[in-house]
Amino acid sequence: MDHPTTATDVPLKNRSLAALLALTWPGLGHLYQGRNAKGLLYFVCIFGLYAVGFALGEGANVYWTWVNPLRNPEHFRLYYLGQFWVGLPAWPALIQATLIHQGYQPLFNGFMAAPMLDPTMDNGVREVMQEVVRRVFSLHQKYGGLKEIGDIYTTIAGLLNVLAIYDAFEGPAVRSGPTSSAEAPSTTTTEAESA
Amino acid sequence: MMIPSLGFLPLLGLMNAYWFAPPLILVISLVYAASRHEAWPLIFRHATRLFLMIAGILAVVTVILLVINTQV
Repeated sequence: MDHPTTATDVPLKNRSLAALLALTWPGLGHLYQGRNAKGLLYFVCIFGLYAVGFALGEGANVYWTWVNPLRNPEHFRLYYLGQFWVGLPAWPALIQATLIHQGYQPLFNGFMAAPMLDPTMDNGVREVMQEVVRRVFSLHQKYGGLKEIGDIYTTIAGLLNVLAIYDAFEGPAVRSGPTSSAEAPSTTTTEAESA
Repeated sequence: MMIPSLGFLPLLGLMNAYWFAPPLILVISLVYAASRHEAWPLIFRHATRLFLMIAGILAVVTVILLVINTQV
């Protein structure tokens, strides 16, 4: 029977806390576990990909809307289901969506707010949201399909962080056993002898 | 508020979208490999293999689609 060696060597500490930290910011859970190089790799790769994607969309491609996807599929933001997993860098979108949904004015002039106009909005909210919508639609005219590439980058960054969260919680997926490699040559020798 | 417009974005907008694929494949390969192994040589070996596999499959599919497109 194989005994996992790598697993015991990997310092997972409080793995639930590590997973929570990894969810909060890419690589943070691994830094907590003392797996600094791996934490840095996750941070550079995942947060870097997210930051580049975010910049390609000028920050207008990460947003959420509280709508029913069955009744209002064109305004449902499917990409955010992936982007959410990047953690804190993507979560302001949830706050903005909740504020707008509750009828309050979004913070920071609609930063990471959904480019949506609703006839029931107050005048103050409507003014801010009109500017957001204008900016988002002008992105296409200026940069072509860069916003869509930013959508893909930010979404995949979030999905990759799910792997990092799992790694923080469970350790690396492949665990090398000491017996498996030792068994292989002996089997070959036995076969050679019988032949 | 949006993030300030970056000066190089119009230049990136002129690039072919295919150029955005290699960095994405590289990141996917590295993160996936890092989630599978703890030792760096294994991570880099796995990431290199995965990068070549994904890039190869994408290249083959692209060539097939281009060939089909030239026939219609």
